[in-house]
Amino acid sequence: MNDMRIVERDLDQNDVKIAAKGVQVYYGDNHAIKDVDVEIDDKTVTAFIGPSGCGKSTFLRCINRMNDTIDVARMEGNILIDGEDIYDPKVDPVQLRAKVGMVFQKPNPFPKSIYDNVAYGPRIHGLAKNKAELDELVEKSLRRGAIWDEVKDRLDAPGTGLSGGQQQRLCIARAVATEPEVLLMDEPCSALDPIATAQVEELIDELRQSYSVVIVTHSMQQAARVSQKTAFFHLGNLVEYGETGQIFTNPNDPRTESYITGRIG
Amino acid sequence: MTDAAMTPENARAPKSLKQEDARTKKRNASERRFRAYGIAAICTGLFFLLALLSAILSAGLPAFRQAVVEVPFTLTQEQYDEAEEAMLKTAIYTGYFITSLSDTMEAEGVEIEFDNKAVERLLGKVGGDLRAYYRDNEDEIGEQIGFELAASSRVDRYLKGTFTREDLQGGNRFFMPEDFDLIDAMQEAGLVKQVFNWNFITGVDTGVDNPGGAGIGASVLGSFFMMLVVLVLSLPIGVAASIYLEEFAPKNRFTDFIEVNIANLAAVPSIVFGILGLAVFIQFAHLPQSAPLVGGLVLTLMTLPTIIISTRASLKAVPPSIRDAALGVGASKMQAVFHHVLPLAAPGILTGTIIGLAQALGETAPLLLIGMVGFVARYPDTFVEGFLEPNSAVPAQIYNWAARSDAVFTEKAWGGIIVLLLFLVTMNTIAVILRRRFERRW
Repeated sequence: MNDMRIVERDLDQNDVKIAAKGVQVYYGDNHAIKDVDVEIDDKTVTAFIGPSGCGKSTFLRCINRMNDTIDVARMEGNILIDGEDIYDPKVDPVQLRAKVGMVFQKPNPFPKSIYDNVAYGPRIHGLAKNKAELDELVEKSLRRGAIWDEVKDRLDAPGTGLSGGQQQRLCIARAVATEPEVLLMDEPCSALDPIATAQVEELIDELRQSYSVVIVTHSMQQAARVSQKTAFFHLGNLVEYGETGQIFTNPNDPRTESYITGRIG
Repeated sequence: MTDAAMTPENARAPKSLKQEDARTKKRNASERRFRAYGIAAICTGLFFLLALLSAILSAGLPAFRQAVVEVPFTLTQEQYDEAEEAMLKTAIYTGYFITSLSDTMEAEGVEIEFDNKAVERLLGKVGGDLRAYYRDNEDEIGEQIGFELAASSRVDRYLKGTFTREDLQGGNRFFMPEDFDLIDAMQEAGLVKQVFNWNFITGVDTGVDNPGGAGIGASVLGSFFMMLVVLVLSLPIGVAASIYLEEFAPKNRFTDFIEVNIANLAAVPSIVFGILGLAVFIQFAHLPQSAPLVGGLVLTLMTLPTIIISTRASLKAVPPSIRDAALGVGASKMQAVFHHVLPLAAPGILTGTIIGLAQALGETAPLLLIGMVGFVARYPDTFVEGFLEPNSAVPAQIYNWAARSDAVFTEKAWGGIIVLLLFLVTMNTIAVILRRRFERRW
């Protein structure tokens, strides 16, 4: 950790956006998440770090109920977004996912044009009344995805024809196009080169202005660079959760210290 | 660490890399042997394919050729009036034709005696044909026309070399020994030629008295109507069933049971489907016998497992990341499937459907049981009749012809096989083209 500025980073006190209480997740017989309590702030970047298989991605997927699509996954406990339990039987996961957008580890643009990729979400949610409004929304989203200048002349080209970094930024643009309140990112930079990673990180910092961003990452440098708060997961437990500066410089738990200094993980 | 590594190292003599050691030699030899087996297997396959193709082509291609006798002929107005006033009109026309034929042959320096019976045996009822022609085209009276008459099937086979003088014993009402001389004479005079046998493509089945006139047209139409039924029923049902099973159905004992049964259904012998169709569609539901509708229903049952299995395979092949992406932006399950998964699976589904249809097209056994092997000598009059009137199908027609004693029908059966194979090759080519075209788009 040569970036010592992280300790000086000021932390605004923000409202709690997501509150998880006693979350347990089982994949069949495998107990993947063990009694996790966490409160994630609004307009903050929260990083989940931890070794492979520690449950950080699983927990992330609980926040927009993507685990519902896995037959063997079973979840207990409560997750509240703005005070509402998202696992309430009355909650429609489709509506929830419009509010909680997600960016995946591997860039996964639809095999359609760049325009259609971004316009798909607004279309199915009826966010634009006419073509002009949709065009505007697509442009706005692509600008927020920091990819507008690269693709504005070829919106009809297939999204799959872009480079890996561009594809990931397109996916971010697609996720923000539905105007979510929370953005979940599951290792968004693991398939990207350092330059594309830097662009995406810059973007994440900008997105903080309007969203609560939760990012899972394997790179501790990345967590230190982009996040205000960090949660360390180990073997399904949330070991430590706190301000990024404190976690990386003065961890309370010996396991956290071992991980960030490279002794385990 | 070094000690442990050294001991087994000694077993391999330290030699130059340019020299093969015993182990490597053995491995390379076994790889060479394996390649040789592979090439031998492919060569055997190719040999059988070639043998099959050459047998089919040599036996079947003659069915597409037809010998005709072309005689220049002029009918004057007086002759026409005279013939139309006579009692036996066609006999007079036959007389005119014989005169014209012998004149033409004499002009070419060929002389032979023959009577109108011989002409009828070789060329059919010439007088009737002539009269019908001139009654339809009265303006051509007085002009010379080249009259083309299809030679009888025995003449055809004699010219193709499958029927010789030795084959004929004593003669019958179809053919007499002296007819050979007349054919030879006509050939010498340059009146006989070979043309493409359109009648084989467009015609209908015939009885034993006119084997040469039999065509495959009506049964092609029967097959077409069956395929229509199969396509309209099995594609939507099969695709809907696979989408439900693959994307929506919960994974439990019941769906596992269905899955196993679909796989088993694909392996059920087709004759079982035939007897099922007979029992259910004809005896229970009282649908018309021998109708392409029933044939299509039975073949639908057979095609469904093929379509379901291939559709499920292509749905499975769509990367899950696409589903995640759609769900992640808030699409419902159904939107994710219909907007993203299904379009990506479409080429695979199309290929599976076409292959299933091709399979159904070549299926014979179930058709035997529901009575689609009858003698069908006419085309359906309307579109609806095409489904409900008794008809045959190409493979059933081939089976039917192959079972008849007259050698001409055997030739027709081989010809029918060529027609069937052409359809199958065309369908498979379409399947390949569709797959290529759509795969390139993504």
